[in-house]
Amino acid sequence: MKVTRRDLLVWSAGAAAGLMVTPVPWKVLDDVSIWSQNWPWIPQPPRGPVEVKQSSCTLCPNGCGLRVRMVGGWPVGVAGVASHPVSRGALCPLGFGAHQLNWHPQRLRAVRHRGNTSTWGEAHAAFAKACSEGPVVVIDGWPGRAASQVLENFAKSRRGEYRVVLSPETRALLPYERWSGAPATSLGYDLENAQTIVSFGAPLLDGWGAPGRFTRLWAERAAGMTDPQLRLIQIDATLSRTAARAWRWAPVRAGAEAALAAGVARVLLEEHLVASRGPMPHTTSAEAADQTGLTADAIRDLARTIVARGPVVALANDDNPAIAALNVVLGAVGTRGGVVRRSKTAKSYVAADAEIRSARAVLINSSVPWDFVPRTDAEVFRFAAWDGGSSKADWLLPAPGFLEELTDVPAAPAMATETYAVAQPLAKAPHEVRSAAQFLAGIDASLPTAEKIIRARCQDLFHGRAGTLCAQDQTPVSKVASAQKLEEQLWNGAVWVGEPFRAESFRCELKEWPTVAASVPSQNWLSSWSAPILPPLASKVFQESDLRERPEGRIA
Amino acid sequence: MRRSVLVFGLGLAVALLAGWVAFPRALYVQRQQPLEFRHKTHAEKSGLADCNECHAVRDDGTFAGIPAMDKCAGCHSERIGESKAEATLVNDYIKPGHETPWLVYSQQPPNVWFSHAIHLKRAGLNCTDCHADYGDSDQMKVCEVNRISGYSRDIWGHSISRVHRAPHDGMKMSDCEDCHQQRHVEVGCLGCHQ
Repeated sequence: MKVTRRDLLVWSAGAAAGLMVTPVPWKVLDDVSIWSQNWPWIPQPPRGPVEVKQSSCTLCPNGCGLRVRMVGGWPVGVAGVASHPVSRGALCPLGFGAHQLNWHPQRLRAVRHRGNTSTWGEAHAAFAKACSEGPVVVIDGWPGRAASQVLENFAKSRRGEYRVVLSPETRALLPYERWSGAPATSLGYDLENAQTIVSFGAPLLDGWGAPGRFTRLWAERAAGMTDPQLRLIQIDATLSRTAARAWRWAPVRAGAEAALAAGVARVLLEEHLVASRGPMPHTTSAEAADQTGLTADAIRDLARTIVARGPVVALANDDNPAIAALNVVLGAVGTRGGVVRRSKTAKSYVAADAEIRSARAVLINSSVPWDFVPRTDAEVFRFAAWDGGSSKADWLLPAPGFLEELTDVPAAPAMATETYAVAQPLAKAPHEVRSAAQFLAGIDASLPTAEKIIRARCQDLFHGRAGTLCAQDQTPVSKVASAQKLEEQLWNGAVWVGEPFRAESFRCELKEWPTVAASVPSQNWLSSWSAPILPPLASKVFQESDLRERPEGRIA
Repeated sequence: MRRSVLVFGLGLAVALLAGWVAFPRALYVQRQQPLEFRHKTHAEKSGLADCNECHAVRDDGTFAGIPAMDKCAGCHSERIGESKAEATLVNDYIKPGHETPWLVYSQQPPNVWFSHAIHLKRAGLNCTDCHADYGDSDQMKVCEVNRISGYSRDIWGHSISRVHRAPHDGMKMSDCEDCHQQRHVEVGCLGCHQ
């Protein structure tokens, strides 16, 4: 029998029809779709035992509590710790995607000297030479840690200077430092006991301080209530996310916050609405109204509303002395629910913004935000885990990334109580990275290691016998068996919390109303972020939040 | 006309035969486990009758999965029997400190988040509801690995048509959805794909 072309076509048609009623096309489609999700070049977490470890976030000085999901010894997921005394289960979008950062394409993996690949040996030799030729300035972005102490000791031993880039929350406390002598890093806001909070542009519900601190407080005492237990009055030029959720929004012209603070203070003093006697501002209500865009009556109403339910505290977005002066007038300095001094041991630091004139070299730690540029002609050695492109640094030195080094976490900026935690290294650092403290130890072998300092601090906490150790349960330090036990618990994610606020001798001497009105820069959860990159997760959130178009007509 | 019907039928029959008989056999490659392991022996002789003895849900809710070698080393630090598998276990894995590269029958893709703790403790499921009665097996079954996707046949289920299957045969997303639907448990996409 001869097979014709027609037979072949008919046979193929029969086979095609038959295949449609077999699992072949559907199963192959399913398998190919799964295969396409698992191409070998797509990074996959290793297979291995799944564990959950508790630690603290090290991306900014707020040190939020983390539950890190580990697979085969690698972090693959991050979540908040509900029992954490500072963050109370919340994290910013950066924190949620932090485990992705170490794999970012812009991760620094080699030493670079003016754009060219170099070696640690050459960087070491260049820095040692610079140290022998003149003083060195060391700039840190997160003071108070064990590693910071190493940097500070090194700068002092070389007749250099240790400078600090303060967080926006701490910068807002600088006026009190000038008027009281108490370091800004030792001060905080007792928000937990305040009943009225007047925020002059501080994004309290959008990344101010530790994300969970105020948001939880607001959720418990204000959200959805027409007469909330916690009154949030937001002074903002635009209907920001915080303003939209606040109990009252006072729309003022951008940059007129100082004028409004002066106007409110004048009403408070003229109408004897406050017991304390602060300096009388020169700005009258009419002048304040002219500058802010509010009416004089609205300013008077605002002043009366502010003091209607105390304790009351005013918060600034940055170093604005007029808002600090308003707190002095309100009697909110050194009192419950106001600006309090939480520590007697914290130090004052030289701000890094000032020009550096006589240094031979400047070393910038990786905790300094990437957009910080030192005003200097000296040779700049910059540690960074991620490369953000243009930088004035002569040397770019690859630093450990997220949870790749041991660090301790002192109290978050603007907290009312002291806290202390330890973030153990959960991820294995690439062999080519070094921290600034390790680098300096190569120059000066007498420097203590961060681990040694952390151990000493744990011993101090144990011997102090004060405060509580917060893990799943709360244990008074007086009941912890040994310093070693305390250190062990801190390594496992517990947080030491100091004694609650007590009225202490913290007073501000203010004879004249300050005249300098600082500008109020925009600020959100990215403000303290030191690196120039975002994890994919945060990019998505970022796209859906800050980049969206501003609604028309909402600008005051 | 009659000839065309015959040829068409022949093509149809060949395709049906290839699709239903040859294709499932060709799709999966059979792989043996690196060691001979008997669940039944461990359950009867070692008192490890409860799955949780080795495949434990930890206090923090994470699942230990296949136990690490240190668990085996608790009893097998030295050879217990004379079998070849025992010698391999002790000499090739326990003494050098190497983990056994077990082939996993129920391995899910990395984009799936699954909590054993929730299913066991909150939903009250038994291990056998999803994993069949492995605890009584006297021999590890051959692991059939899909040549395209790389996953075990246990994920799709042993019936290539996925009809008339045993309740524990198959761990596809649709199986999870069916079970959730039957129990009126709504989790949404992000419940499993976080």
